[in-house]
Amino acid sequence: MIEVVLNDRLGKKVRVKCNEDDTIGDLKKLVAAQTGTRADKIRIQKWYNIYKDSITLRDYEIHDGMGLELYYN
Amino acid sequence: MANRTDPAAKSIHGTNPQNLVEKILRSKIYQNTYWKEQCFGLTAETLVDKAMELDHLGGTYGGSRKPTPFMCLVMKMLQIQPEKDIVVEFIKNEDYKYVRVLGAFYMRLTGSVTDVYQYLEPLYNDYRKLRRKLPDGKFCLTHVDEVIDELLTRDYSCDIALPRVQKRWTLEASGILEPRRSALEEDFEEEEEKEEDEQAMDAYEADAHEKDYYHGRSPTRERDRDRKRDSYRYHRDRDYDRDYGRGRERDRDRDREHGRDRDRERDRDRDRDRYRPRDEKDYGRERERERDRDGRERERRDRDRGRRRSRSRSRSRDRRERDREDGDYRKRRARGSASPRRRPEEDGGAREEPRKKKEKKEKKSDGTDHPDPEIAEANRLRASLGLAPLKL
Repeated sequence: MIEVVLNDRLGKKVRVKCNEDDTIGDLKKLVAAQTGTRADKIRIQKWYNIYKDSITLRDYEIHDGMGLELYYN
Repeated sequence: MANRTDPAAKSIHGTNPQNLVEKILRSKIYQNTYWKEQCFGLTAETLVDKAMELDHLGGTYGGSRKPTPFMCLVMKMLQIQPEKDIVVEFIKNEDYKYVRVLGAFYMRLTGSVTDVYQYLEPLYNDYRKLRRKLPDGKFCLTHVDEVIDELLTRDYSCDIALPRVQKRWTLEASGILEPRRSALEEDFEEEEEKEEDEQAMDAYEADAHEKDYYHGRSPTRERDRDRKRDSYRYHRDRDYDRDYGRGRERDRDRDREHGRDRDRERDRDRDRDRYRPRDEKDYGRERERERDRDGRERERRDRDRGRRRSRSRSRSRDRRERDREDGDYRKRRARGSASPRRRPEEDGGAREEPRKKKEKKEKKSDGTDHPDPEIAEANRLRASLGLAPLKL
């Protein structure tokens, strides 16, 4: 179980607990549940790399405590 | 400026019509190439030409959320705000299905509640195929009536939040709308008539045999359940060999021809089946007695028909044994479930263990009873979203 921090630089900072083999799509659902946005409106990026929904966190090498950027579509 | 709404346009739902599409999506559309090249200076007539060239519908797709041409045209319609007649023309035209869907979408966004229901419901009869672009860029197959259903029942479609419409039954209750007449109504009526006939006979039987019929279950459900259970039983029961199954159907056909007597006997069987799930202790014994009685009756009937005499006797005996086991099994296990059960001799013992195992497993698999409340809550959320629990 890892904990990921998502920050949208506009006031929303969210800590989400998830498994390493969850996909980005699952992570978006968890974030949506916590922030109240819709899951398909959320975009998770790291600098200019937009993370795809079908790939797992482990494959993106996202580790415990790592920060991700939260944007909206 | 190209992106300003026509100053003569009315406000829709209390706002600038273009604001029906939210800010981020709106900016995406303005920056889109299709919008800049094709949608510049469109009027209602030229818009029709562009609409006829559409070949798919959808919202935004891809990592950077690119809007589809369908979205751009919706935006353009919101910008120029064509007359209602034009939109109705779009919807009524039969030749171009994407023009139809475009008109329906615009109507859903801008029309009043009565208009929405009035103009979109006829489109339920259109079953043509459509191509829909999914958010990951791939295409999927859908149909016009599915899209209309989505527009009328969901509040989000093609990445646009649809304005709220009241439910149909509220409008019917306040008299604004007529109750809906489906195009399949005649077919349903035929079905209903058939069922009603059978139900009338069942009700007749129920009166004759009655102990405690109405347990708060609707007759339709029971009837369906019985029918399902009967058909289920025909296929599953090993003692019912194929001949017997066929014989029953033949009987039923003959029954229909010969009138009520035979029907009554058949329905008596069905009634017997219906009493099965009432698992009250008082009835256990009485039911068995009744079943025995019926088993003997059936035996007699089979003898009358002059068919399968030897087999019928053994079969009814087996039935009686099986039925008694049934009753005992139910009493012992105090099963309250009304769902069709499998025969005990087939998997009696084996079923105990999977059930126990399942109970044990359910304690662990969800993880929602973890001692740490944070983790328990996270697991609860995950379970509600359909995800596996956290691995600690």
